[in-house]
Amino acid sequence: MTMSGQAPRVVLVTGKGGVGKTVVSASLALHYASIGLRTVLVETAGATNVSALFGRTGSGYALTELRPRLSTLSLTPEAAIEDYVVQQIRFKRLYTMVFKNRVMGPFIDAVPGLHDAVQLGKVFDLSRERRAGGHAWDRVVVDAPATGHGLTMLGSARSMMELTRAGPLHEGVKQVQDVIGDPRHTAVLLVSLAEGLPVNETIELWERLGESRALLRGVALNLCLPSPIGAADWRDGSGVLDAVPNGAALRGLVERRLQRVDQQAAAAERLHAATGAPVRALSDLRAARDGLNGRPWAEPDLLRLAAQLDPSGLGL
Amino acid sequence: MSAPHTRVLVCCGSGGVGKTSLSAALAIKLARSGLRVAVLTIDPARRLADGLGVGALGNDAREVPLRALFGDDGGGRLDALMLDARSTFDNLVRRFAPDARAAQRVLDNRYYQFASTRLGGSHEYMAMERLLELVQSGAYDVVVLDTPPTRHALDFLRAPERMSGLMDQGVLKWLVMPAGVGGWRALEFGSEAVSSVLKALLGEGTVGEIAEFFDAFRGLGDGMRQRSLAVRALLRAPTTRFFLVSSPAAAARAEALFFLAVLREERMPFGGFLINRVAAAPPAFSRGEWSGRSPAEALALDAVDAQCAEQADLAAAHAKAVAALRAEGPAGAACWLVPEQSGELHELSALIALGAALPDAESVWGADGTGA
Repeated sequence: MTMSGQAPRVVLVTGKGGVGKTVVSASLALHYASIGLRTVLVETAGATNVSALFGRTGSGYALTELRPRLSTLSLTPEAAIEDYVVQQIRFKRLYTMVFKNRVMGPFIDAVPGLHDAVQLGKVFDLSRERRAGGHAWDRVVVDAPATGHGLTMLGSARSMMELTRAGPLHEGVKQVQDVIGDPRHTAVLLVSLAEGLPVNETIELWERLGESRALLRGVALNLCLPSPIGAADWRDGSGVLDAVPNGAALRGLVERRLQRVDQQAAAAERLHAATGAPVRALSDLRAARDGLNGRPWAEPDLLRLAAQLDPSGLGL
Repeated sequence: MSAPHTRVLVCCGSGGVGKTSLSAALAIKLARSGLRVAVLTIDPARRLADGLGVGALGNDAREVPLRALFGDDGGGRLDALMLDARSTFDNLVRRFAPDARAAQRVLDNRYYQFASTRLGGSHEYMAMERLLELVQSGAYDVVVLDTPPTRHALDFLRAPERMSGLMDQGVLKWLVMPAGVGGWRALEFGSEAVSSVLKALLGEGTVGEIAEFFDAFRGLGDGMRQRSLAVRALLRAPTTRFFLVSSPAAAARAEALFFLAVLREERMPFGGFLINRVAAAPPAFSRGEWSGRSPAEALALDAVDAQCAEQADLAAAHAKAVAALRAEGPAGAACWLVPEQSGELHELSALIALGAALPDAESVWGADGTGA
């Protein structure tokens, strides 16, 4: 891949809850692995949905290999803080003494933005990790927390810089911000659904991205449904239902779907007009059904979703 | 001050299952049955305002013009609010500070300004505070609370404990010198090691500012702790009900069950499941019996056939999902199925239609309304 040299190493996938961020993140990560890039898929805030998607049980802060070239880990703020502090002070016993302390625990928890900043810091570390001959990871795909908190996380390094002003943590988060805030290194992919409220929220999210807007590479419009018939054929042919028992209800069934298809097109247009970013409609009914049953996704389903996303077309 | 007649209904669930819409629909339904209802969302995405069509919502109650909309005159009333964590926190500080100067000292503290809006859990805690205010105002029969997605809702339930832990004198003793020593001294810790760890993490200046915040907060501690206890009691009151909102999707069901376990552990009263967007079986149709008189008609019949097959599949899968959730829940737990709606749920008419599938006051709290 000639593109891989220029494309951002870190991709943050975010959007409101329930829009399918995990599936989109997973399909993107699997796509990267399948084209030969060493990829790590990062879950945040203690979420552990990725392993089930791949038919595995449980993942944690330690890397789990899902496929050749594809590993995953699940960040928790606690583990990320421990990681950071142990790196900084180099004595695990001291960490335990301070952080597992009944009195100090709540105090540490109360440092605003710390949870988000240390998780972002871990993402940064992964993107910089070296292995013989180069970077350990060609791509770090982050299944970022839902809207409100996703934003907080993206802005957490900057918040932390304002709060600390000086000192080792300030230096640390500044380094993180320099990379995470730079569109050459980091990309944001928004995930939305085609309904009115999710679209409004995605646009709101975009507005609140502020300086991070430059990171946006695309919007994935998830769970789009196919049209069962062309509008003209339906107009010309649906009269036949007048003679069919339950004709009105049957007509309603198809017309609701046709409305939904129109709604999808309108949503894509609105999202593009608001953000200026390319919008990709993703549809995979079979895969959506697996989500209902909680079955693992088949690799071809995930790759088909990735093909609809067209990462290289988005510069990812 | 306390108003035990105000009942509380909390809607919890994972993201994207329609908690906000169902909260609004429930509130509308209860108000139309003659109750005085407030619905509070802590969702910063302004969904409830969209849903109720009242424009922007804020920290103060805004009346939804039910009578103008329905011509009903059942004596009910519906107010909608969106939590503003910062102003709620500011009000709390003013209320519990010994004097105006002490209040100002907290409000001016840089760490406070960060903490009051960005502190993990501060939104959740302030929502609880606002809930308590609404209940204690005595102005409502029912307060409906729309919560953030499950993992955050967990913070939400534990926020009172967490905040009172934070305000615990133990922390203050560790962090701050006794008052009157002349300002704060950040790191009067028992151990040099502890202090070096904090410095290594945060830098000396930041630790100092945080210590100053705690010092300034000292006078407020007792009042805040009392509030925490009152919220704690309210969440466990016999008239409080937690509804777990789910969709048929496996991930949403898992979140609902996760939350159910938390409710049990915390001894908070479970009111039932609300399962949203459940597909209904399609009308009967047999493609083989019909032939179109034109290619377009044949295509139309094919489209109907395909939609029916898809819908039947979906309805069967949803029925299985609902059965699975009920099997995991407590025996005899109440369960309301909300059918999939066509159209946009931020239209008021759609919210009213949703109400038909939702519980009324009697099925939540019993005929006498006590919940006993």
